[in-house]
Amino acid sequence: MSRFRQLEDFRPQTAGWELLPFRFERLNGRVLVTNMVGEHVMLAAEQFEAFAEKRLPVDSPLVRRLRAKHLIRQPGDRSPSTLLALKARTRYRRLAESTGLHIFVVSLRCEHSCPYCQVSRQSGDTERYDMSPETAERGLGMAFRSPSSAIKIEFQGGEPLLNFGLIEEIVRRAERRNCDERRNLGFVIATNLALLTDEMLEFCARHDINISTSLDGPADLHNKNRPRPGRDSWELAVKGIRRVREALGVDRVSALMTTTKASLGRVREIVDCYLEQGLRGIFLRPLSPYGFAIKTKSYSAYDAERWLDFYREGLAYILDLNRRGVPMTEYLSAVILKKMLTNREPGYVDLTSPAGIGIGAIVYNYDGSVYASDEGRMLAEMGDETFRLGHLATDSYEEIMTSEALLAPLEESFAPSAPMCSDCAFEPFCGSDPVYHYATSGDFLGRKPESDFCRRNTAVFKHLLGLYESDPSARSTFLNWVGR
Amino acid sequence: MGEVATGQPVSIELTFDAASHSVDAIQRAAYRFSDRVSCELVSGETEHRCVLTAAADVNLDALAADFRTEVLDQVLRERIRAETEPIRTMILAQAFSRTGVVDPQGHT
Repeated sequence: MSRFRQLEDFRPQTAGWELLPFRFERLNGRVLVTNMVGEHVMLAAEQFEAFAEKRLPVDSPLVRRLRAKHLIRQPGDRSPSTLLALKARTRYRRLAESTGLHIFVVSLRCEHSCPYCQVSRQSGDTERYDMSPETAERGLGMAFRSPSSAIKIEFQGGEPLLNFGLIEEIVRRAERRNCDERRNLGFVIATNLALLTDEMLEFCARHDINISTSLDGPADLHNKNRPRPGRDSWELAVKGIRRVREALGVDRVSALMTTTKASLGRVREIVDCYLEQGLRGIFLRPLSPYGFAIKTKSYSAYDAERWLDFYREGLAYILDLNRRGVPMTEYLSAVILKKMLTNREPGYVDLTSPAGIGIGAIVYNYDGSVYASDEGRMLAEMGDETFRLGHLATDSYEEIMTSEALLAPLEESFAPSAPMCSDCAFEPFCGSDPVYHYATSGDFLGRKPESDFCRRNTAVFKHLLGLYESDPSARSTFLNWVGR
Repeated sequence: MGEVATGQPVSIELTFDAASHSVDAIQRAAYRFSDRVSCELVSGETEHRCVLTAAADVNLDALAADFRTEVLDQVLRERIRAETEPIRTMILAQAFSRTGVVDPQGHT
């Protein structure tokens, strides 16, 4: 008797197959089909019709492919539903881990006067615009009430280095608390680096603090976007990046750019600037429609289509660099590709559903007000307190996390039950952004056919899928970016 | 099918057999097209009449063809939703609970 079971044992128990839940979109004669967790296939139109009408013979290669992607199952198949459930659970695992990012606005003061920034004051009034130690202590109490096993504390401003004494205090107190709490505790300072001193660097080195800074590209562009006395913002930023790398290590500093109208058409120079500073990744992100960006007409200076041209050109250049052996990552693409090609949820708050507000990140403002997101406090600085969840001095953790100001936007914007999103094949790659839609259309959900958020994201998804399907070199780089 | 109005804006009337097109499918298609066209839907026992109104510079015939394709896709989505609803519910229940809602044979 053979030690192995007969081939017949591995064949489906009966003929035929049945559909598992899926969504589809037609893309230039082809059809994207995604399953419940975002695993996908791209089919020719005829293949799709045969699939949807269940005309495919059970032994066809396409049926094997569709089974592998959990889009169909054959009677007797035992694993698809279990695996889909496991992957769905993995996708939503972050919900039980809320809230991971706690933003402390330690000062609203800043020595820059950037035209699109709504969260800074050029003032020496520390009493009025700096966070107090009492407020910071209450913020820490709130942070450690989060069930998350990982707690990242990010210091923002204004310019947080203007209140560095409080940063030191918060770091020491958090570390003391963590002796008992035993969380995975991390710190980040979001700074323009202009006021960085050696003493600050020593403190950062001792306490494993990472640095996030702003770099908009070449000197003339950066200094135009970020005016300060002396017009030397770029020089101080790149000098600061070098000092941080030397003092803390090459991977301890990252940079973010803001795309203004002046950036359009200069994406290659911007990428080159990042490379020259030793930064191996860049986030090609659009300007947000909040506060001063609206008031100063910075936001309306370019539309979604112009940003998409900027993004596509930048991505093409970055892919070409990789082809030539220069490693460089475009972070927005990498986040989306991770959602498309793996079962890992990168946790990027703008592309999650339920939205990342409050449950992904929460903001403790300098004055003790608690906001659902950084964008929420930006709106508040312009007089709209819709996303203010409460105050550290008067409201408990329970009151803040169950406030209507948090639950209503989370519930109303949930993509899987939103009009159009619920049918959209891109939904597993996308997210909800109630603050964006509130700022642009006055409600948390927004009308997706008219939403630049939807238009921009959909175009990026299509572009990435097109490259992945048609360009072997791009495909190889993408797989590298997502760690596959 | 034909143009029923001239001047600005322009309109076109489409009819859909009520036996094979639900109101929900037409409404979902209309929502997807709502950035380009407004839709007035009159539902009858045997057919649904749908008047699409758009700006003057829109190619109405092309728009109507796209709209019909979208309605057909929505009909298909409706069928898939109905056909896969039990297993979708079962998978989500399994994902978010540990109550053993799936039988050992993997059937719903």
